[in-house]
Amino acid sequence: MAWALVLAAVLAVLAVVFVARPFLREPTPASDRLDEPGEAERRRLGLVEERDRALAALKELEFDHRTGKVSDEDYRRQVGALRRRAAEALRALEPRVDAAPSRHPVDRERVP
Amino acid sequence: MAALGRAALLIALGLVAYALVAGSYAAWKRRRRLALSAQNALLAAFPATVVAAVVLWVALGRRDLTFQYVAQHTSHSLPLGYALAAFWGGQEGSLLLWLLILTGYAALAVWLNRRSRELVAWVVPVLGLVATFFAFMLCFVSSPFVTAPAPSDGAGMVPSLQNPYMLAHPPMLYLGYVGLTIPYAFAMGALLSRRTDERWIVATRRWTLAAWTFLGVGQLLGAHWAYVEIGWGGYYAWDPVENAALMPWLAATAFLHSVMIQEKRGMLKVWNMVLVALAFCLSLFGTFLTRSGVVNSVHSFSQSSIGGWFLGFIVVMTLFSVALVYLRLPLLRARTRLESLVSREATFLYNNLLLVALCLTILWGVVYPILSEALRGETRSVSKPYYDFFLHTFGLPLLLLMGIGPLVAWRRASLRALGRTFLVPFAVAVAVGVALLAAGFGDSLPGLLTYTFAAFAAASIVLEFQRGTAARRSIAGESRLRAFTMLVSRNRRRYGGYIVHAAVVLLAIGIAGSSAYQTIRERALARGQSMEVAGYTLTYTGLATRQLANAQAVRATVDVSRGGSHVATLHPGKNSYPVEQQVSNEVSIYHDPRTVGDVFTIADQIDPNGTLYLKVLVKPLVNLIWIAGLVFVAGSLVAMWPDALEQRRLAERYEPEAALA
Amino acid sequence: MLALSVAAALAVFVVYTAVAGAGTPQLSPSQLAGHRGDVELVGAVVGPVRGDAHTHPMRFLLRDVQGHERARVAVSYTGSVPDLFRVGRHVVVEGTLRGGVFVAKPGSLVTKCPSKYAPAKPPTT
Repeated sequence: MAWALVLAAVLAVLAVVFVARPFLREPTPASDRLDEPGEAERRRLGLVEERDRALAALKELEFDHRTGKVSDEDYRRQVGALRRRAAEALRALEPRVDAAPSRHPVDRERVP
Repeated sequence: MAALGRAALLIALGLVAYALVAGSYAAWKRRRRLALSAQNALLAAFPATVVAAVVLWVALGRRDLTFQYVAQHTSHSLPLGYALAAFWGGQEGSLLLWLLILTGYAALAVWLNRRSRELVAWVVPVLGLVATFFAFMLCFVSSPFVTAPAPSDGAGMVPSLQNPYMLAHPPMLYLGYVGLTIPYAFAMGALLSRRTDERWIVATRRWTLAAWTFLGVGQLLGAHWAYVEIGWGGYYAWDPVENAALMPWLAATAFLHSVMIQEKRGMLKVWNMVLVALAFCLSLFGTFLTRSGVVNSVHSFSQSSIGGWFLGFIVVMTLFSVALVYLRLPLLRARTRLESLVSREATFLYNNLLLVALCLTILWGVVYPILSEALRGETRSVSKPYYDFFLHTFGLPLLLLMGIGPLVAWRRASLRALGRTFLVPFAVAVAVGVALLAAGFGDSLPGLLTYTFAAFAAASIVLEFQRGTAARRSIAGESRLRAFTMLVSRNRRRYGGYIVHAAVVLLAIGIAGSSAYQTIRERALARGQSMEVAGYTLTYTGLATRQLANAQAVRATVDVSRGGSHVATLHPGKNSYPVEQQVSNEVSIYHDPRTVGDVFTIADQIDPNGTLYLKVLVKPLVNLIWIAGLVFVAGSLVAMWPDALEQRRLAERYEPEAALA
Repeated sequence: MLALSVAAALAVFVVYTAVAGAGTPQLSPSQLAGHRGDVELVGAVVGPVRGDAHTHPMRFLLRDVQGHERARVAVSYTGSVPDLFRVGRHVVVEGTLRGGVFVAKPGSLVTKCPSKYAPAKPPTT
C-alpha cells in the first residue's frame, strides 16, 4: 500500500510543479499582460471574414450558375453586387497590411 | 490501491477547480502567467484522471472484490473483456468515464488552440467548471473507490449486457456526449472574451462533427443491440434513455447546419449560441436520465443519489448560458437579413425549426411523466403513438427538405430556375409514388410518403454529384472519375454532407420498410408443424439443449423456405443463467439479400411437451438502417478530412504573424 | 417569420395533445379502484401465477411496489411474457378494469429490471 501513497504524493508534486511552471520560468517578466486583440485587430478580423465570405459567395454563385441552379438573369443581377462587395472588402484590407497590427507585444515564449 | 484512485481523483479535482478559479481571474484581469498556469492545470487533469481510470481497470481485471464497484458489477466467472467493460456498467464508473474523456478532449482542444491565447483564456475556466462538477461528484458523492470487506463472489454482469455491444456502445455515446462540451466551451469563451469573429466556430467545427458522428454511431449500435440481443423485434422503443441520446443529436444536427449560415452570411449568431448551449445541456440531461433513474424507464428503476446534483448542475449551466447570451446580445446582432423565403438560407432555417421542434416534443414526452407526477400526483406515461405522430409530422418534411435544399440557390431563388432544377427529382418522386401506390403500398400513408420523399431526396443528391462533376469537366476537361474526385476533394464539407444525407435517406427507407410494411405472426407449433408469413414458410423441426460457459441454452430448429426452396435454418431459443438467476431471449434472424430485409424469429415460449410458441416478424429493408450507419461514417469522414489549402487560409486569417514567420 | 413557424409548430402540438389526450395514467393497484378506461398498472407480482399467456389468459395478482397497501388487483393477461417475469418482479401492464379484473392489452406486459443498468424487454413494437 505504501507504494500507492508514494505514487500519489509524486503525482501531487508533479501537478503542483506543472501548474507553477509559468511563474517559475519567469519570476520577473517584462510584461505579464495577456494579449488581447486591440480595436484595429478586431476590425481586421472582421474585414478578413467579410472578404472571405464575399469571395466564397462569388465562387458559389459562379458554380450554381454553371450547374443551372441560378438562371442567367439572376446571375447577372447578383454577380455585380457580389463583385463590388468583394472588391470593397479587399480594398478595406489593403492599408492594414502595411500598418502594424496594434496588439500588445507578443512574448515569443514557447508554450510549456 | 483504492487509496491511489481516491488520491488521483482529489488531485484532478484540485487541478480543475484551480483551472476554473485561477483561469477566470486570469482572463478577467488579463494575467498572462496565471492564464498559462490555469491552462497547465487543465492539461494536467488528464493524466491524473488516467491514473484513477487505470486503478479501476486494474481492479476490474483482477476482480478485486474489496472494491465495492467491482463486487457489484463483475464476478469471478465473468470473461475478462466484460469485466473491463464493467468500467461503464455502473454509475460511478460512468462518471469516471465522462471525466476521463472530458479531460482528454479538453487537453487536446486547448493544446491545439494554444496560440489563440485570449480565446483559450476563457475556454479554460468554462471547461474547468464542467470538469469540477464531475470531479466533485466522483470524490464526494459517487466514488468508484469505495471499499468493503470482499464478498465471496461478485454480483456478476446482467446477461443481456454480456456481448460485444457492451464494449462499444457506451464509450461511443460518451465520446459523443462529452464531445459536445468542446464547442460549447469555445462558444461561451468567445462570448466571455467579447469576440465577434468566427474563430470559435472554425476551431470547433471538426469537434462538433466528430462528437455528432460518435453520438449517431453510438445510437445505431444501441439500436442494433436492442434488435439482435434484447430481441422483441424492434430497434427503438422511445424509451427515455434512448431519447436521451437522440435529443442532443438532433440539436447538434441543427447546429451543424445553422453554423454554415453564420459562416456564409453572418446571420443567426444568437440562434447558434442558443443551439450549442441546448445541445450541451441536453447531453448533460441525457447523462442524468441514463444514470439517475429519475424517469421510470425500462432501463432503470432505482432512484439514485446523483439525481439532485445533476439536475442542479444542469439548471446552473442553463442559467449561465442564457445569462451570457443575453448580456452579449448587442455583440451578436446580425447585419444581414433573410432576403427571401425561397432561398437556401430559408431552407436551412426551416430545417433547423423542424429539428428543434422534434427535439423539444421528444423532450416533452420524456419530461411529462415526471411533471405530471410532481404536479398532480398522478403519473401519466407517454408512449409510441405520441412519438410516432411527431416523428411523421416533423420528420417527413425534413426528409423532403433534404432534397429541396441543394436545389435552391443562396439569397434568392427565382421560381423559373427552381422549376428547372426541381423537374427531374420531382418526376422521379411522382413516378415512384405512383408505382408504389399501384403495387399496394398505399395502406400505410407515412410509409408511402417516406418512400416518395426519399426518392425525391435521393434523386436530388445524385443530381448534385452529377451536375457538379459535369461542371468541373466543362471547366477543366478532366475525365469523369477525376472530375468527380476533384469535386469532392475541393468541397469536402459540402459533398461529405451530401453523402451523410444519402445515409439519412437510406435510414428513412429502412425505418419505413421495417415498421410500416412489416408482417407479424404468432403461432403455437407442435414438432413438424409449419406457419406461413409474408411468403415464407417456417417449419418447426425440433429442440436442442446445450451447455454454455455460464448458461444453459435451449434452441428450437426452424427451417425457413421461400417459394418452395429452403433458404435458412434458424435457431431461436432461450438461455438460462444460474448465477444471475435470469432467462434471456435468444432470437434468430435470417437476412434475406433479396429484400435487404430480415425474417426475425422469437421463441416466445417453449412448453415442456415441446410445443413452440413461435413469433415471426418479416421486416423488409431493415438492413438499410445498418448500411446507412456505414455510409454515415464515410460521409462524416469526408466532411471532416483536413484540407491543407483551407488550413493555410485559416491560419493566415487568424495568426498572420505566425503564418508569415 | 420565425414567430409564425413557432406558432405553427405549437399549434400542431396543442391540437394533437387535445385530440389524442396527454398520455395514459400510470397507477398502482391501490389507486386503481373506480378508474375507467385505458390505464397503465404498475405493481409487483404476487403469486400464484396461473394459466398460460398463450392459450388461456395468464392470471396473477399485483400489489403496490412501495408501501404496505393491502390492495391486490387481479390481472388477466395474454401475449408475450418477458423473460424476467416472475413473482416479486416489478411490472407495468396496460389495460382496463372490467368487472373487478384488470384485463390487459395483449402483449403490453413489461418488466423493470431492478437496480442494474439493463434493458428489459419492451412491448412489441
